[in-house]
Amino acid sequence: MASLITCPHCGARPKEEFTVKSAALPRPSADAGEAVWFDHVYLRDNPRGAYEEYWHHTSGCRRWLVVSRNTATHEVADARDASEARP
Amino acid sequence: MAEMTTNRIPLTAPPTQAALADRAPVVREGVTLEALPEGTILHLLARPTQVAAPFADKVAAAGLDLRVVAPGQWFATAPTVMSGADLVVLSQALKPEVDVVDQSHGRVGIVLHGPLAARVLAKGTAVDLDPSAFPVGRSATTLVGHIAAHLTRVNAERFEIVVQRGFAGSLFDDLSQMSLEFARL
Ligand SMILES: [Zn+2]
Repeated sequence: MASLITCPHCGARPKEEFTVKSAALPRPSADAGEAVWFDHVYLRDNPRGAYEEYWHHTSGCRRWLVVSRNTATHEVADARDASEARP
Repeated sequence: MAEMTTNRIPLTAPPTQAALADRAPVVREGVTLEALPEGTILHLLARPTQVAAPFADKVAAAGLDLRVVAPGQWFATAPTVMSGADLVVLSQALKPEVDVVDQSHGRVGIVLHGPLAARVLAKGTAVDLDPSAFPVGRSATTLVGHIAAHLTRVNAERFEIVVQRGFAGSLFDDLSQMSLEFARL
């Protein structure tokens, strides 16, 4: 289990302090069209391996992070403030 | 349209009773749990890139202890109540760097002190409380059990915990239970 997330502001904290939003994907342009937006909002690849997600440190600093983890091993490779890690 | 005031002066009367008025100090062998007097807790808010250096002296000069909450956020605390007039003066002095929100009635302080204080607190939080990782003066925003809380190590054997008022009773009772193994027989 990816039980410890190293928040860049708070240090290593248990996953219970966080809320996971979803995959950190580049945002389509506003006029990209319904099909592209439907894909962006609802469709996920669910890959085995490296994955980037938005995690909110809800019970800590309350900053949004981009967490890079491996969905197969649950190893966390990186956690950055989302303001510095826009996909 | 009437001009709106930007200073957040308390508009309501203070609570008639302290949140933990009915919780007597819990004295164990090596650790004591007590409610702190309801003094002053100010929440300072700025952009996440703001650092404390430009305004820390102003907070200290007002007799407040500055504690890190998160990027661009601090608590400034004092054991005594700050007057509305003093709060306005301080808010204006800090205005270039941070905005002040008075949380003196919104949050409550609890203290855990004694040689076993860290042993008790460690049962409820994943923060590493070893002095090498959490030295005197360090603060952390974290969970204690299921309750969001803000911890500060004010000296080697004394932790002050700031918690939202509505959760203070539950957290106090949780900490009391967490210290039960050190109860005096
Ligand atoms: Zn954090």
